[in-house]
Amino acid sequence: MVFSSIVFLFEYLPVVLAVYYLVPAKWRNVWLFAANMVFYGWGEPVYILLMLFSIGINYAAGLLVGKYRGCARKKARTALGVNIAANLALLIFFKYFDLLAETLSLIPGVAIPKLGLGLPIGISFYTFQAMSYPIDVYRGDTEPQRNPLLFGTYISLFPQLIAGPIVRYKDVDDQLQSRVHSTEKFASGVCRFTIGLGKKVLIANNVGALWDVYAAKGAADLTVLGSWLGIIAFTLQIYFDFSGYSDMAIGLGRMLGFEFLENFNYPYISKSVTEFWRRWHISLSTWFRDYVYIPLGGNRKGLRRQLLNIVIVWALTGMWHGANWTFLVWGLYYALFLVLEKAFLLKVLERTPGVIRRLYTMLIVTCGWGIFQLNSLKAVAVYFKAMFGFGAGGLSDAGDLYYLAGYAAVLLAAALFSTDLLRRGWERLPQKVRGVLCPLGVCAILFLSTAYLVDSTYNPFLYFRF
Amino acid sequence: MKDKHGLLLVLIFTVFIGAFFLLNLILPDRNFSDQENRTLQQAPDFSFASLFDGSYTQTYEKYAADQFAFRDFWIPVKARAELLSGKRENNGVYYGSDETLLNQFTAPKTADLDTKLSAIDTLAKNVDVPVRFALIPGSTEIWSGKLPADAPADSQKALIDYCYGKTSVDCVDFYSALSAHSGDYIYYRTDHHWTSLGAYYGYCALMDGLGLPCRDLSEYHRQTVSTDFYGTTYSASGFSWIRPDSIETYVDGDAAEVESYARGPSNAPTESGLYVQTFLGKKDQYSMFLGGVTPLLHITTKNAGAPSLLIVRDSYADSLVPFLTDDFSSIDLIDLRYYKGSVADYVKEHDIDSVLVLYSVADFCTDDNIALLGF
Repeated sequence: MVFSSIVFLFEYLPVVLAVYYLVPAKWRNVWLFAANMVFYGWGEPVYILLMLFSIGINYAAGLLVGKYRGCARKKARTALGVNIAANLALLIFFKYFDLLAETLSLIPGVAIPKLGLGLPIGISFYTFQAMSYPIDVYRGDTEPQRNPLLFGTYISLFPQLIAGPIVRYKDVDDQLQSRVHSTEKFASGVCRFTIGLGKKVLIANNVGALWDVYAAKGAADLTVLGSWLGIIAFTLQIYFDFSGYSDMAIGLGRMLGFEFLENFNYPYISKSVTEFWRRWHISLSTWFRDYVYIPLGGNRKGLRRQLLNIVIVWALTGMWHGANWTFLVWGLYYALFLVLEKAFLLKVLERTPGVIRRLYTMLIVTCGWGIFQLNSLKAVAVYFKAMFGFGAGGLSDAGDLYYLAGYAAVLLAAALFSTDLLRRGWERLPQKVRGVLCPLGVCAILFLSTAYLVDSTYNPFLYFRF
Repeated sequence: MKDKHGLLLVLIFTVFIGAFFLLNLILPDRNFSDQENRTLQQAPDFSFASLFDGSYTQTYEKYAADQFAFRDFWIPVKARAELLSGKRENNGVYYGSDETLLNQFTAPKTADLDTKLSAIDTLAKNVDVPVRFALIPGSTEIWSGKLPADAPADSQKALIDYCYGKTSVDCVDFYSALSAHSGDYIYYRTDHHWTSLGAYYGYCALMDGLGLPCRDLSEYHRQTVSTDFYGTTYSASGFSWIRPDSIETYVDGDAAEVESYARGPSNAPTESGLYVQTFLGKKDQYSMFLGGVTPLLHITTKNAGAPSLLIVRDSYADSLVPFLTDDFSSIDLIDLRYYKGSVADYVKEHDIDSVLVLYSVADFCTDDNIALLGF
């Protein structure tokens, strides 16, 4: 199920919230667990078994590691290693098998048939989430959870189940046992959820339709103006899609009493690529930092080793995003800029005016999305050629002007919303004005989003399949 | 103060989602949407098989959207919002000047057309009578002046020229005939079809190609049969506030007898007419011409001495046929989407004097059944 759907908003959510607040407090987690299973099973019921299996092995691993970590370090280590291997095996099998089979079959004499398995929704997110738990237990950062139901509720928690943020067990450990429910918290959840819904339905879907126009064009029809229009549309689409999803997740969490960590912090105002990755998909970068980069030695083993670590982490980050080698290229593309910035570029940038630094960052990020979204390097080459004036399509055509005129307002609004200007303005407004504007805004977004959802044929979630 | 503010937000949200949850439960499901001119999704039957193959939840999502409370209110809200945000289209329909709705048009690959064109040539080889081919340009082409500024639309003229150059049969130039009258009410503003007036200019082009005269427009008895027609582009667009079209007829309804083979040529026909008035009371008013979609129609006119004609066609022919009743003794109409017999055999068995393959450009591009002409 996705949040931006009629079924979720007007059937699932009212029932889940109503029962949640009607049952006695001690039954709330049981109800949540049941609700999570319906949410997850809505698309592919069979994969509920996979999710239960994942819950089972990580629950057991947590107990084992917890039991031995103090007295038999070696045993604890073995249990942890087996568990990590099992988690990765599941992820690799369900997500990358076909890619590996296809690639290995290129070797003469090797022929591995593809399985064509549907990717279990959210497996990349919940596998990472689950893996972090026994590691944290091993490190002594958290205590093992003895109640399987509570642990299951954590892994399958529907707000962040299928598209993040990646919530680590140690961050919600206490909240699972007892959490504060208040009108204030629920209200802030409502605001956050509604903003996310608007980002997704009113902006991301809207500019996404523009990207689709240009993504479908061949080399001959791509103009300079058109290709830029398309890639800018996608740059905005993926931010509003993904950060909108995180907003909805955080908002829903608050309605249920949870506090999740932030996942986005206005990434498009960054003044360097390094800064961009501190502001984009924070829960994923943090995960890789804490569970891969630092264990590899981080920056503690000399510059050369640090640069290698960056390359490893970004190769993995790239591949995490999808079963296509273009994602590896995308990850290494960022590794390159991060390494350059570490080596000398950051020092140069520090003496450069802010506008130039932002343009530099956004140019790299925007081109990066081209590598990310087009499904072959050949298509990327064709598209980049058009962007930089080496294509066959010329400077612009009538269609570009039509789309520019039709989407100018939405693109400008989206660009504005992707900066922190409006929020800074909002915070300067008197409390009284905000108290009036906020409910009005919520009403307007709910009303318009409902109209778009009732009419929607176009409602994909970009991160749904990762 | 702060608590009250929070409570208000909680109430707005929970009442909004709760109220629509209840309304969707209480309000009865609708079978058909007049505004959208389509059957709405009904509640799917639950079975474990359909749950596990994913079809149950998929259908259910469609059902929830189709049966959402006050759907007919929400659809235009979105259409309005799209226009307000600066767009000039919604759901694939351009919002043109003078409240004219125009379908988007993207030309298919020429390879897709070639199969159909060679099927026409094959038909011409398989029968002993002349075969003509005619493509009717749509309003998006002839009324391109009404399109929103710079709106992309592939050239239908270029597509017609390509097709006419590729086939070896005689072709009829509807494009010139219609573009010469582009200032007139020759297409419906809310529907993809041509009006009776547009069909009249098509009729003249057809007669011109045969070297025959066509009657002057003033000789006909013009009647307005509907002033509240909303067609297919209207239904798709969501622009529910625009004014309706009117439907006119020029030829009297008793000019011919129409037999409708709704269940194929081997079953007994039912009596139909050039105009089937009952459709004027329904949503799909254009179907009042010849009673809408039928696999095979046999029309007998009062001009027994004239030649006979077979038209392989789409629905544009429905409003053209009344004009032809002056010049042919009988007119047979085959719709290849539903008629699955051999057209060549039909010509041989039914004393047909000539064949016309008549399609709108849009239907010719999308209807793969046209390739059946060669069999």
